[in-house]
Amino acid sequence: MKKVEFLYPELCNIYAESYNIEYLSRCCEELEIINTRHGEVPAFARGDVDMIYLGCLTERKQEKVIELLRPYTERIKELIDKGTIFLVTGNAIEIFGKSIEDAGRIIPALGIFDFTAKRYMDVERHNSQYVGMFRDGDGEEILLLGHRSQFSFAYGDFEKTKFVDIEIGIGMNPDTKAEGIHVNNFFGTYSLGPYFIMNPLFAKYILRKLGVDDTLLFEKEAVEAYEYRRDELRRNLG
Amino acid sequence: MIRFYIALWASKLLYAINRLRGNARDDRPGLLAFKICPDFLARVAKPKLVITITGTNGKTTTSTLLRNQLVDAGYSVSFNDWGANLHAGYCLNLLRAVTIFNKPKMDVSLLEADENTLGHTMGMIEPNYILVTNICKDSLRRNGHPEYIFDRIQKAFEKLGGKTTAILNANDPISRQLAENTGTPRIFFGMADAHTNPFENRVNDLGVCPVCGGDVEYNYRHYRHIGDYYCPDCDFKTPESDYYATSVDLEGRSITIKERDGSEHEYPLISETIYNAFNVLTAVTVAREVGIRPEAVAAFLETQIVTKIRETCIKYNGIEYHTYGTKSQNVSAASTVFEYMAKEPSVKEVVFCLDEVQDRNHPAETLTWIYETDYEFLKSPNIKKIICAGHMYLNHKLRLLLAGIPEEKIFCVEEDERVPDFVDTEGIDKVYVLFEIDYVVKGGRWRDNIVRRAMELNGDDPSKLDSFDYFDNDSNGASNVKEALN
Repeated sequence: MKKVEFLYPELCNIYAESYNIEYLSRCCEELEIINTRHGEVPAFARGDVDMIYLGCLTERKQEKVIELLRPYTERIKELIDKGTIFLVTGNAIEIFGKSIEDAGRIIPALGIFDFTAKRYMDVERHNSQYVGMFRDGDGEEILLLGHRSQFSFAYGDFEKTKFVDIEIGIGMNPDTKAEGIHVNNFFGTYSLGPYFIMNPLFAKYILRKLGVDDTLLFEKEAVEAYEYRRDELRRNLG
Repeated sequence: MIRFYIALWASKLLYAINRLRGNARDDRPGLLAFKICPDFLARVAKPKLVITITGTNGKTTTSTLLRNQLVDAGYSVSFNDWGANLHAGYCLNLLRAVTIFNKPKMDVSLLEADENTLGHTMGMIEPNYILVTNICKDSLRRNGHPEYIFDRIQKAFEKLGGKTTAILNANDPISRQLAENTGTPRIFFGMADAHTNPFENRVNDLGVCPVCGGDVEYNYRHYRHIGDYYCPDCDFKTPESDYYATSVDLEGRSITIKERDGSEHEYPLISETIYNAFNVLTAVTVAREVGIRPEAVAAFLETQIVTKIRETCIKYNGIEYHTYGTKSQNVSAASTVFEYMAKEPSVKEVVFCLDEVQDRNHPAETLTWIYETDYEFLKSPNIKKIICAGHMYLNHKLRLLLAGIPEEKIFCVEEDERVPDFVDTEGIDKVYVLFEIDYVVKGGRWRDNIVRRAMELNGDDPSKLDSFDYFDNDSNGASNVKEALN
């Protein structure tokens, strides 16, 4: 059995993030899902896991989760270096940067990657969609779709560590087309919600990375919906 | 001051022209007033009684009930009942309530208010009461998340302090924390167990205890996170209610409300749903606070129905064809409606008219709400078919399949006009067209087309269909149920 740890589902499930894990587990019976609540020691701290998922959360809970994970910063670095799969969606990605600024207040984050984030809580929330290309180091290319709705942006040099090369939409902030973080098997994106549903080809990619059969539940319907949405976004936003 | 009067006169002139043209609900006069005089809301004179109604769900039904109640009690009321619940709508509401010399000429301003705007408008308006119906999960694009909305509303109370009174839902563990430590007096309404046996939702709006981070538990729930709650690890629990529904009979459509002085009064309900029972409880709380006698409130409620922009029904050939406001993108409202579809026992077919426009100007319809909403509730034997149309049809289909709905019950097409072809004309009791509330007319058109096809198949002339004027909101005595042929 492959171990997949869903960190803090009671805090990190505001836009149906739990469906990422539910979908994977329904696609493949060889996955053992570990739901770690906020009062518990993470499974990754007690031993190896094959994949860790952390989803989007409110601003107050984002700060709480930074403190929950801070004692495990070195362990997280070790797991990233070892090639453990991480999927991090929405503003959870900011937890792995250096800091988050909010109205002059600096909130130190885990400092694993070299970028900072800034919240703009009094400005209209940023809503957008993206279409972009993910290229892994082994020549595989997947066109990814994302949608974002957020109060903050991230700043830094993302060219070498970007996850998605944006074709339509913005990257980590409105001035870059580099979106997300991809280091070894760490995949982080500002996109919200059920990312695997929106990107069935990426779900298959992750299942292959986990070393299990990559057949998806309702694969035909999932891919049809993905292709329709891809074409619609290109037609309407391209 | 000169700028204010220019704004007042110009906007009143535009309003008069709009009225002559039959566009009294156009909020451009309010927008004009705001553009000419950015602090128009602060400078315009206010009626003696200003009531703001906000919250995620129940605003429109509650404020429509209250408006009708106040008019019934003899008050003149300015009410933004045309859906303009933003800055321009407030300006228009208030400019209608004063003379050209800025003297109040109406008794009450009733402001249905978007939660997002309260922080920077209520400080200028200084309403006597701010009623918050609840805070639930709403549209991601418009409202972010409940914690963000809470902060936006709380800003209004921080600015106003003791200048206003908060009327809050004791059964909502999120919004009941509003106005704490602000100096604002608080009045709570709440409800005893109505034995609704609510389904469990996929997404928990509250998450954890807001005080200590523990797991909140419930003695009972009404729906979603609304109920009688407590935290085992700290003293966070449902506060005592000033207006407490001691018993609720949804089937018999009555509610008994106990007041602070211990007196109890029975009132009729406007429908058999728990969320409309809350809307009645909320409206009664405000009516009683402003001094309307319980007997008058009860007599008035006997005449009330759910507003036509939320629900209508056409009967034809033994089948009821409903439009039913569902608020797509609003996860809590959509899940609650899906639960109702399962629990309402009739054999039915459900039509989704839920997709928002997707174009360059509206590029952000996401699919998060589809996965936050409890499609699983629709897996009920009394739901024979689910028919979806619109640009999200493939996403609805996938979600329905993942929710365990048998494929043979699912009919998804891109083109709206094909919907009637999939609706049965026999073997069912009801058809529900669940429509996104911004598409009242579109939802009505879909339903009417379904009825017309049934008429055609039955040999009746479809052009004879008698439908609704959805924006005739004076629901006093008017019915939202019709026979197709009159």
